[in-house]
Amino acid sequence: MMQYKFKDKKKCIDFSLGNLNLSLDVDKNIFLKELNFIKNINNELFSIKVENKLIPKNKYKIETVSKNTNVNFTFISIDFSQNFENDFFKGRISFVHKKKNIIDFIFQLSVRWHKDIPKKVLLKFPFLINLHKNKNFLKPGDIFDGKKRINKGVWNLHEYPPSIISSNLGNQCLGFEFYDQFPWQANYNLGMSEAISNENFEKLQTEVQLTRDLTDIILMKIYTSSSGREKIFSLWKENTRERYDLRKYHDVKNRWIKKNYLQHFMFAYGEEAFDYKKIEFKINQIIKEGKEFGGYDSILFWHQYPRLGLDESTQWQLYKYLPKNYKTIKKIVHICHTHNIKFFIPFKPWDIRSNESLDSHAKFLEKFIKETSIDGFFLDTMSSLPESFLKIQKKFPSFEFCSEGTPKEQRQIESLTSSWDQIGDIRRNFRVDVNSNFFRFLFPEHPLNLVSRWSVGSDKDALIKRAAFNGMGMVIWQDIFGSWLPFSAQQKKKIKSLKNILSKYHKSFFGDNSIPLIPTLSKKIICNTFSDSSSTQKIYSIYNFGSNRINGRILKLPSAINKFKQIFGKNGDIKIEKKRNNFYLLANLEANEVILVSIKFNI
Amino acid sequence: MKSFESKKIFIESNEYTYRVEHLTLEGTCSIDHGPRNVKIKNLLVDKYPVTNQQYSFFLKKTGYKPRDSQRFLDHKPNKKIFNLPVVFVSQNDAIAYAKWAGGRLPTDEEWQYIAAGPKYLDWPWGDKFNPSLCNHDGHKLVSVKANIKGSSWCGCVDMAGNCWEWTAGIHDDGNHQFALLRGGSYFYAHDHWHIGGGARKNNYHWKLQILNEGMNRAATLGFRCVYDAI
Repeated sequence: MMQYKFKDKKKCIDFSLGNLNLSLDVDKNIFLKELNFIKNINNELFSIKVENKLIPKNKYKIETVSKNTNVNFTFISIDFSQNFENDFFKGRISFVHKKKNIIDFIFQLSVRWHKDIPKKVLLKFPFLINLHKNKNFLKPGDIFDGKKRINKGVWNLHEYPPSIISSNLGNQCLGFEFYDQFPWQANYNLGMSEAISNENFEKLQTEVQLTRDLTDIILMKIYTSSSGREKIFSLWKENTRERYDLRKYHDVKNRWIKKNYLQHFMFAYGEEAFDYKKIEFKINQIIKEGKEFGGYDSILFWHQYPRLGLDESTQWQLYKYLPKNYKTIKKIVHICHTHNIKFFIPFKPWDIRSNESLDSHAKFLEKFIKETSIDGFFLDTMSSLPESFLKIQKKFPSFEFCSEGTPKEQRQIESLTSSWDQIGDIRRNFRVDVNSNFFRFLFPEHPLNLVSRWSVGSDKDALIKRAAFNGMGMVIWQDIFGSWLPFSAQQKKKIKSLKNILSKYHKSFFGDNSIPLIPTLSKKIICNTFSDSSSTQKIYSIYNFGSNRINGRILKLPSAINKFKQIFGKNGDIKIEKKRNNFYLLANLEANEVILVSIKFNI
Repeated sequence: MKSFESKKIFIESNEYTYRVEHLTLEGTCSIDHGPRNVKIKNLLVDKYPVTNQQYSFFLKKTGYKPRDSQRFLDHKPNKKIFNLPVVFVSQNDAIAYAKWAGGRLPTDEEWQYIAAGPKYLDWPWGDKFNPSLCNHDGHKLVSVKANIKGSSWCGCVDMAGNCWEWTAGIHDDGNHQFALLRGGSYFYAHDHWHIGGGARKNNYHWKLQILNEGMNRAATLGFRCVYDAI
């Protein structure tokens, strides 16, 4: 390790790590002057308040600047100290480069309190506030719509996508991620991720608990790209996925779940599912009606809720009370299997009794699988797969589990290999928006079925558009526990079209190279792209979220075109234009419409 | 009066305002919950829910056998539990008994009037909940005579707690068939996703979605009869 020496009287430190170029002024506090293409920043990296008193800049003393350059690892760190009203602070700012185009920024702080009595410490990060104010700054999931930044991305997992700053031309980009966020309030990184997504980030003051030893306060990854925002997403995706064990997704025995595009929710207590005169379930009728949607890939049978709790009967006993006991289910499963439809039953985790364990439920499930040949277990409100159920998969390798909520944390994502993407809340005037689900792109191997149980009318239309925009399947749920909310004939037709497209272009839709919210040439257009790195074919899902028709160039394409075709949505009159070796996609797109376009590139 | 015969109470014809508070977790209960004025005709009503003894006598006398006997009298009534309300009976089983006894099941509106009376009481005994006056969260059924102090204004016992009671009719919203249950029961499941158990207020009913008879019978579900009086 060598000591870094100040080169001039102004005490400036300029250095490059990977593709990151920084200029710091360390004369009084530590000021960030420049960061790649972002010039004239001139903001403190941090400021500290102790019991609401700001430590003055002239109190900071730079102790050492350290650097190490190695083939695989480079870092530079700046140690500083300050003595403030008998409390002695020490801190370190480090930049670490190990992976290409990714730099870790680490901010650490310690304190020796006067008489060992801790005080309230608040931190501010003026340089981040400045970046947040930059006109080219995009919060996670945001896009520009010409006038302002608007949110068009969603995710519901504990990995937060990076914020991004682009150069004016859009090619140079920096991504900022506060990574490894445990869902717990004392994790400062989680707080930063949440705060930077909010409008009032500039007011953020982070309270920290300091010790005598350096405590990690901020761990920020800076992603660098010279080829646009897509590269930032790809870097984040690659870096995030690296620590996940996703082997379970590649088990050939479970491959069927990836083609579970349409799941029918079969609510037992209604005309749709039950013949009150014949006292039997209308499974053949359900399968027949399913063809209007393009054919169900699976059926989820549902009869325990809202019936559990009338007496002490358990969720498993309620199957015995169906006509002819388990035989009803066995017969329905058999009919489904002859139509190549998989069959799920649900679990009710909230019904576990004090004398029951998950192991005992696993035993019931095992018995049930043997007696009825069901294919899957729907975990209802659970978002993780307990060990007891994992053992079932070892005995029945093709057996699948699916949860109501998308898994949020690493272990859950690794073990629970399919779920719903459930949105909506009837109590809050929920409006279905067409936006990008980042989980879908981060883990394309995890099948999601979109559902918004209470949505009707135009919201059902929007739901279909949202499914198409994210290239995902749906749950066909029309009987919501006794409220009949059917799809219209037109909506069924659209779903049928979507299912056929998902099936036909499966490899692209669920490929490893899909990217959400790529830049477009129109301020009211958002676009996702789906592709597999082994193929030259890409699917573009394009949404005109404005209130006017858009006619003209909407996308700049990466290379020369071999073939192109609109495969979903109202006729967008798509064309390809070549100008000075650049290729553009042109469309005539109605307001509030989603189209899918397949393009085969030469390379 | 023989022990298997029911004690009946006379209810004089009256008009009252029916109002049920029933917000389901999910799945609308699509009937008019009021407030609306309803006319109650002169009635006789069973003082107690129909007991195991009464129902056993009915079986003995009529040889009644349900078309679908799944879970029918699954608790196996015997002399030791003769004073407990009969349960594991479907609405059809209850109607069969009521017809034999010369009566019928009370309508949802009648049931509420029998429980709440012209003073619109919240609970059979008054406006304040008192769990010691009913079998609420009691873990098992008790004798129909165990909670005499919790009688309603007209003297009917067990209008709250002990066992749910069938009311008359199958409601059809065009896509679903359901019946309305009254009074709540001794059983009080632990989670909010379960049916809200325990004793229930006079102005509450629960929507039981109808399926096959095995599903329509339960360990907490009994009935009482009313008889049209001139």
